Amino acid sequence: MTVSQPAAAAIGGGIRPIRARLTATLLVFGGVAAGACLVAPLVGSTSISLSRAFDRSVPFADNVDAQIFFLARLPRVLAGALAGAALASVGVVLQALLRNPLASPYTLGVSAGSALGAMLAISFGASVAFGPLSPVPLASLAGACAAAALVYALATKPGRPMSTSVLLLAGVTLNSFFSALILFVQYMADFTETYRTIRWLMGDLDVGGVTPLLGVLPLIAAGWAMLAPLPSSLNLLSVGTDAAATRGVDVARTQRMAFIGAALTTAGAVALAGPIGFVGIVVPHLVRLMIGVDHRVVLPASALLGAAFLVGCDLISRTILAPVEVPVGIVTAMLGGPFFLWLLVRKA
Amino acid sequence: MFLTAEHISFQYGAPPGRSRVRTGEGRAFALDDVSFTVERGSLTGLLGPNGCGKTTLLKLIAGVLRPHQGTVALEGRSVADIPRRQLAQRVAVVPQETHPAFDYTVLEMVLMGRHPHLGLLQLEGPDDLRIGGEALAATGTTHLAARPYMTLSGGEKQRVVIAGALTQQPGVLLLDEPTASLDLAFQLEIAALLSRLNRDRGVTMVLATHDLNLAAALCDALVLIRDGRVLARGATRDVLTSDMVRRLYGVEADVRFHEPSGHVTVVPVRRAP
Amino acid sequence: MAARQKSLILVCALVLTACGTSVVTLARANPAGFAPQTSPSQAKRIVSLVPALTEMLFAIGAGPQVIAVSSYDEFPPEVAALPRVGALLDPDVERILALRPDLVLTYGSQGPIEDQLGRAGIRTFSYRHGGLQALLSTMAALGTATGHAAGAGRAARALQAQLDAVRDRVRERPRPKVLLVFGRQPQSLQQIYVSGGAGFLHEMLEVAGGDNIFADVRRESVQPSQETLLARAPDVVLELRAAGSLSAADLARERAVWSTLASLPAVRNGRIHLLQGDHLVVPGPRVGIATEALARALHPEAFK
Repeated sequence: MTVSQPAAAAIGGGIRPIRARLTATLLVFGGVAAGACLVAPLVGSTSISLSRAFDRSVPFADNVDAQIFFLARLPRVLAGALAGAALASVGVVLQALLRNPLASPYTLGVSAGSALGAMLAISFGASVAFGPLSPVPLASLAGACAAAALVYALATKPGRPMSTSVLLLAGVTLNSFFSALILFVQYMADFTETYRTIRWLMGDLDVGGVTPLLGVLPLIAAGWAMLAPLPSSLNLLSVGTDAAATRGVDVARTQRMAFIGAALTTAGAVALAGPIGFVGIVVPHLVRLMIGVDHRVVLPASALLGAAFLVGCDLISRTILAPVEVPVGIVTAMLGGPFFLWLLVRKA
Repeated sequence: MFLTAEHISFQYGAPPGRSRVRTGEGRAFALDDVSFTVERGSLTGLLGPNGCGKTTLLKLIAGVLRPHQGTVALEGRSVADIPRRQLAQRVAVVPQETHPAFDYTVLEMVLMGRHPHLGLLQLEGPDDLRIGGEALAATGTTHLAARPYMTLSGGEKQRVVIAGALTQQPGVLLLDEPTASLDLAFQLEIAALLSRLNRDRGVTMVLATHDLNLAAALCDALVLIRDGRVLARGATRDVLTSDMVRRLYGVEADVRFHEPSGHVTVVPVRRAP
Repeated sequence: MAARQKSLILVCALVLTACGTSVVTLARANPAGFAPQTSPSQAKRIVSLVPALTEMLFAIGAGPQVIAVSSYDEFPPEVAALPRVGALLDPDVERILALRPDLVLTYGSQGPIEDQLGRAGIRTFSYRHGGLQALLSTMAALGTATGHAAGAGRAARALQAQLDAVRDRVRERPRPKVLLVFGRQPQSLQQIYVSGGAGFLHEMLEVAGGDNIFADVRRESVQPSQETLLARAPDVVLELRAAGSLSAADLARERAVWSTLASLPAVRNGRIHLLQGDHLVVPGPRVGIATEALARALHPEAFK
C-alpha cells in the first residue's frame, strides 16, 4: 500500500529523506488545495462577472455580483476548506491514537453529541446566540464538547495512559446512546423540526458570510495548535504505546493532547458545517495510499487534501441540481462510500 | 554500579505511588522485593518460566512502569527522576513483538529511533540518516530499507526492531525474548548480532529469555526469577546449574560444558518429581 | 411547540413528496365477508387524522359527525373537546377501532393503517396535499362521503369567491418577484426552504399577485443556496410561520437576519414580511384568508 504506488515514487514514500518528502508534499497538496480554493469561487449556480464583482465604483450593497462572490461563494469555499481540513486532520490523528484505521472524527461521540445539541436548539426554538454563532451552531458546539468531555472522563484515570479500547467503546456507545436520545426528542417533536434536524445532519456549507467562520476559527486553531507538534509521537504511538514510551514519548500527555485537540477541531468543524461524513476517513486513507504512512507527511497532506475534497464536493452540491442544492454530506458519502469500499476490497 | 534494581515490588492494577500494596487473592505481586545489579558493558540474562515477571522487570527498568516500592537506578540516578526523553537517549527496548498499526517502511521504523534525540517538530537531518544507515548495516538489513515492515519475515522484523533500538544510540539495550518466535538459523543470527553489538559497541544488554542455551551462550551474568522473586543471581557459570534449573523450572536437566560451542549447554531430561 | 405542530402535515407533504400532483381517492372497497356497509353518504362517525381535512369537515357542515381528530388538530375550536388518536407517524389504531368509526380520513402515506382499518371493515378516505384545485375537489369528495354534498358545494363556492376577490383586487397591480419561505434555521439563512412552482403555497402566491421566483422549479419545496437567492433577486420576501412560535423581539431578530443579503431588492426596500398563523400553512378552507393575508403583504395599497 505504500511504496509501490506511482505517486509514492513522485513524493518518495518512506525512503526519501523526510525533509524532501515534506517539501514535495506541501507543494503538491498545497497546490491542489489552493487550486480548488481559487477555482471554486468562480463557479456556481449563477454566472457572475468577476470584473463587476471587483468593481469598487459600485456600492457593495448594490453590487449583486460582488455580493454573490463575497457573501455566498467565498465564505462557502473557505468554510469548505476549513471544515474539510479540520475533519481530515482529525481523522489522521484519531486513527493513530486509537491504532484503528476505521476511526473517524465522529468515533469519539462528537457527532451524536453535536446533533443532539442542534436537535434541542431546533426543537425548543432556542434563541440564544453568542457572538458570531447563531443558536443551532452554538448548541451543536456545546453538545460536541459535552460528549467529548464525557468520553474523555470515562477513558482516563489520573496519571495513567488512556485506555484506547475504552475510548473507542465509550465513543461508539455514546454515539448510540445520543442517537437514541435524538430519536426520542424527534419522536416527541413535530415533523418540521425532525426534518430540520435530519437536514442539519446532512451538512451545509452555505454559511452566508465570514462571521460563522470567524466564530469557529479560534476553536479549530486551538485544536490544530495542539495537534501540530504530535505527528512524530503519533508515528510511535501507532507502533505501540510501550514502543512510544521507550522512545521518549510522554504517552499520557500525547494522548491527552491528541484527544482534546481532536475534539476541539471536530466541534468547530461540526458547528460550522454540520457532521459531514467520510472526509475524515477517506481522505487520510487516500493520502496514505499516495505518499506513505509517516504522520509528519500524512497530517499536513490530509489537511490540504481534505480542504480540496470538501471544496470540490460542495462545488458539486451547489451546481449539479441548481437552483436546488444537494446537501454536501450526501455528496461526500456518495463519492466517499464507494471509494472506501473499493479501498477495503482492494486491501483484502 | 551501572544499573541497579533495589528492592523493587510491582503489582498490576494497583494505583501508582502507593507505598503499601495489599496482597491477596488475585492481587499477587508481579514482582516482589527484587534486587540485582548490572555492570557496564555486560550482557545480563533474566531467566525464568513464563509469567515469572521478566517482561514486567524490563518495563520497570525502561521506566515504562513505575515500581510501587524500591528503585531502579541508572548510574546512581533513579530512572523515575530521569525525564522520559533523556532516558530514551540512554535506554532502548526491543520488545518481543512489534505490530505497527500502519504500513511503515523499514527505514521509517528504524528512524523512529531518533525521536528522543530530535526537538519538537525537528526532522531527521543527515546525521540522523547516517546513524540509521549504520544501524541497518550493523543488523544486516540495509537491503530491506524500502520494504514495508509488515512484509518482512520474523527474523527480519526482529533485526529491524533491533536496528531501530540501536538508532537510539543507547548505552543500555533491553531485549524481551529476542529469539522467541524465530527458527534455529535466525536464533543463531540474532545471538551473534547481539554478541557483536555488545563487544564492538560496548552496549550494556539485559536480555529476558527462557532459552537457557541462548543465555548460556550470550550472557556474562544471570538473574533467575521465579514467581516474582529473585531465585539466584551471579556469573553465568556459577548460576546455571542443574540444581538451579530444577528449582527454576521444575525440570531435571543435564547441564554440562560443551566443547564445540564453548559454553555450557542445558539438555532438559524430564519433569522433576 | 403545539402551535407549530399544525404545519406538520404541510412540511411532510412539501418535503417528502417530490411530485406536485396530488391524488384524492375515495376509500378502497371493503373486503368481502364483512357486514354490509352503510352507503357512503351516511358516514356518521368520522375520525380525521389530517388537520386540513378536519377543517374541511367542519366547513362543509360535517363537524358534528367528527368523533376524534389527530393530535395536531387545533382548528376549529370545537376540536379541543374531541379525543386524540395520534397522527401521521403514530396513529393509535386501538383507540381508533375502540371509537367504532365508519370513516377514517388518512394521509396518503399511511398505507398500513388503511389496510388494518380495511380488514376491520372500516372505510378510509386517503388524501394527499395538492394544489388549490385539488383542495376544492377534496371538499366535494368529502361532501359526498359524509352526506353533505350541498354544504360542500357552498363551502367550495365561498372559498372560490374569496380567491376570486383577492385575484380581482390585485389584478391591476404590478406583480413583484417573491421569495416564499416556509422554513429555515433560526437566526440564520442556512437550510432555507421555499416554495417551488407547485403546490398550494405557490398557487396562493400567484392568486395574491406575486411571481414566485422559483416558479420554474416544478416542486413544492426547494432548498436554494444564498447565491441563488442573490441571483434571483426577489422584490419581496414572505416568510410563513405557524402561529405563536415567535415573540415580537424574535420576529425582529429573524427579520434582521436578511440584512446580510443587502443587494436583494427586498432587503433594500424593507420588504421582508414574516407572517404568523397556522392558517397560512394548512391547506384547508382557510386558504382564502391566508391568500388575502399574502395579498395584503404584497399589495398593501390595494386594500386601503
